[in-house]
Amino acid sequence: MRRASGSEVLGRVVETLKRLGAESVTVTQEGVVLSTVTKDRLRDFVRALIREYGESLRHSTCMGTDLRPVRGSFSVTHVLALDGLRLYLLVETEAFGNRPKVPSLTPLLPAANWAEREARDLLGIEFEGHPEPVKLILPDPWPEGVFPLRKDYPYNKKLYETPAQVRGVRGEPRFFSAKPSPPSESVREGCALIPVGPYHPALHEPEYYELYVEGERIVEARYRGFFVHRGMEKLAESRMTINQVPFLAERICGICGYTHACAYCQAVEAAARIEVPERALYIRSILLEIERLHSHILWFGVAFHMLGFDTGFMAMWRIREEVMRVAEALTGNRKTYGMNLVGGVRRDIDEGKASLVLRMLESVEGEFRRFCDSVLSMREVVERVKEVGVLTREDARRLGAVGPHARASGLGIDVRVDHPYAAYRFVDVNVAVRDSCDVLARILVRYDEVIESVRLIRELLKNMPKGELMAEYGDLPPLRVGLGATEAPRGEDIHLVITGRGNKLYRWRPRAPSYVNLATVPTMLEGERLANAPIIIASIDPCFSCTDHVVVVDLRTGVRRRMNLLRNALTRG
Amino acid sequence: MGTWFRRSTWVFHLNSGSCNGCDIEVLNMFAPTQDVERLGVKLVGSPLHADVIVFTGPVTFQALPYVIEALKAVPNPKAVVACGSCACGGGIWHDSYNVVGGINALYEILDALGIPRPPTVYVPGCPPKPEAMMYGVLLARGMVGQRQRREVYVEEVKEVEAPQDVREVVAKAVKAFRGGEA
Amino acid sequence: MVEGLGKRVVTEAYPWAPLEVPEGFRGKPVIDPEKCVGCGSCVNACPPNALTLSDDGRHRVVKLFLGRCIFCGRCEEVCPFNAIELTKEFELATSSTEDLVQEVRLVMAKCTVCGRPYATLREVRKVAESLPENLRGLAYVCPDCRGRISSYFVGFARR
Repeated sequence: MRRASGSEVLGRVVETLKRLGAESVTVTQEGVVLSTVTKDRLRDFVRALIREYGESLRHSTCMGTDLRPVRGSFSVTHVLALDGLRLYLLVETEAFGNRPKVPSLTPLLPAANWAEREARDLLGIEFEGHPEPVKLILPDPWPEGVFPLRKDYPYNKKLYETPAQVRGVRGEPRFFSAKPSPPSESVREGCALIPVGPYHPALHEPEYYELYVEGERIVEARYRGFFVHRGMEKLAESRMTINQVPFLAERICGICGYTHACAYCQAVEAAARIEVPERALYIRSILLEIERLHSHILWFGVAFHMLGFDTGFMAMWRIREEVMRVAEALTGNRKTYGMNLVGGVRRDIDEGKASLVLRMLESVEGEFRRFCDSVLSMREVVERVKEVGVLTREDARRLGAVGPHARASGLGIDVRVDHPYAAYRFVDVNVAVRDSCDVLARILVRYDEVIESVRLIRELLKNMPKGELMAEYGDLPPLRVGLGATEAPRGEDIHLVITGRGNKLYRWRPRAPSYVNLATVPTMLEGERLANAPIIIASIDPCFSCTDHVVVVDLRTGVRRRMNLLRNALTRG
Repeated sequence: MGTWFRRSTWVFHLNSGSCNGCDIEVLNMFAPTQDVERLGVKLVGSPLHADVIVFTGPVTFQALPYVIEALKAVPNPKAVVACGSCACGGGIWHDSYNVVGGINALYEILDALGIPRPPTVYVPGCPPKPEAMMYGVLLARGMVGQRQRREVYVEEVKEVEAPQDVREVVAKAVKAFRGGEA
Repeated sequence: MVEGLGKRVVTEAYPWAPLEVPEGFRGKPVIDPEKCVGCGSCVNACPPNALTLSDDGRHRVVKLFLGRCIFCGRCEEVCPFNAIELTKEFELATSSTEDLVQEVRLVMAKCTVCGRPYATLREVRKVAESLPENLRGLAYVCPDCRGRISSYFVGFARR
């Protein structure tokens, strides 16, 4: 029903963009339209876009770029998704000077908040009218006015270059403060503050939360993340060549890394107009679904653990082990598949391996169904998650939620269908949507997706054509923009690249799904019981290393009352 | 590594900014298939309860102070199992602006702060298989021997010079070139 | 759920029994020092700089540091001499990072004209073998000197 004729839609959108005041409009690749706007007109332009497309316009991310060596300016490119029309709109604006200023879009599109703050931290671009222009990503002791993603900052200049620099006057670590800088300056009166993290029994990744509670009820939740900022974008733009970056992209996240490698390769392939052989596309899709299987089953285990049901955790991880073994047999590693290069894949899936996959699917599907059906028929489990952590459809839309999280709030968005890539062009994907908007819905959506993944892998294996695995291509054309989007297990994963000279990248901006989904957590937590916080946070399947692409967070166990246990212990010891 | 951890070993998992790959594999050790608990290894939630720290990640600057505090909080005698290539030597991030670059770089900072280095076992891999981590934990306990050793190969060549005929030809060429110059 | 209890044991015997890893497993990379010529293809491809190249005057040192290796297998893919390959070895734990190093030291060839070391002897000999008899001498000359005297060789070849 969505499949309106593509070129007609595209023509109409290009018309509209011109009418609304875009300086130039170009179709950079299939399904992506780039318009440039002067910065004075940016807000009006976007406001007009919102009026024109309303609900279906979603702010995906924004990328700041230091274009001074090329054009003498900085640029900011916003990515707006029109899922219904199968389009991504790139809106680019330019700003000059050493401390360039552009108008913020956050007042219009709240989902732009973090992305704009990130550009502010890393590139020194000021966003005028931003509601909270404070540090987001860089470590607390990072000096003011130093911007690591600018082209004049050397990628390997570390914050402290010698170990002794860390030492303060009295021998204590110089930068140490009793707690991380608070996520927000203001203190909330009349509530108890429960700090969680950065190291805490309930956290498996270093992250910091402040929960304000009144009795058992959470009034407000604040988050300081980005403990895992590893400076990945800078590495890719300086030290590496295009075929080294897929391996870096894979290490954005240890759970859904392959989807990042795919999104990156798609972005470069789009920029350089490389035709990937069909067989390689099928292999990518099969591996993406295998990754979704392991990631979702892992999530089920974690969710059961959060509910205090450790038998479920063990059962799920036992089932998942079969997926991991097959991944190892197909790719050579359980986790980091390392299968992608720009232009194709490195290893084939032959008959023998295919039958291995089919055998695994058989057993995983059966065991998963049997176990989850019986769990989901238990009232103890269902009552525990029903009407907990509600995120209304409107909030999900406003905050830009993606993936299973959005689908559990009644939004039928899925990159595999809305912006088809890899072999999803050749098969039909059934999108699982639920509209009860609570944790139960998120469980059911993921349940359906596991079953759908199993079906998809079978179909893909059956239809896989013969042929080459790798496209041939020469040097990359410089300064071309490319966009790659995939549906990661956690939602829409977007990579934006600008190609450079000498088979390098000029700019690379990955945006993981947890980045936007995390923004919905405070909304879901407010008014909930403290005891429900762990399962609510876990229900979005947050992956903090993705988010900080540089950082990773996983809330695996319960947030308990004595959350500051570690800190108390430390001050005593 | 001594005999401190011969019997049961309680481990605290410390993530200093890793991608989650190693962290999930650490958890995987405790899942039914590998089940290290049968060897007396138990995952604990607080560094105060731990004998061994399973350390992952390349140490980001934002996490650095808290990593140091957590390391200090583990009572002595303790040992560290550095899991994954990031922890062993900084991995793919080793020279990035926001990472310290692996556990040895962290130890240099500990030296500067006057904190003793705990004995350490290094488990490279990206991520290492859960079994490889298990092997590392067992190595720390002295239950298995170390298999991986430094290997250095030095090529021995008697005749470094070019063959006689080549030298003659080249000498001629040089002469001809000089002649052309003159 | 109860019916599944005790049906089969999923826990593997490792570490009491060796563990089979599948064909194509990406384990420890090993350089075959007899085959390596020190050309540096793997060093250029290596994403984490686990493979590095340095010259100490007499030797060219190809160093593989597993403490950075991400086990991607790009080195194996690009090596023109099949001198590096990923093995099935995964029990790599050590008590010192020193033990995570493999070093291959290859003798450098000195330029027949200026005497400067410019490539490994093995690489030079490989190049020399691939050249026609009358041009072979060029392989033993460093790139700088080669530019200056090559006209002689070209003329020589025409004759």
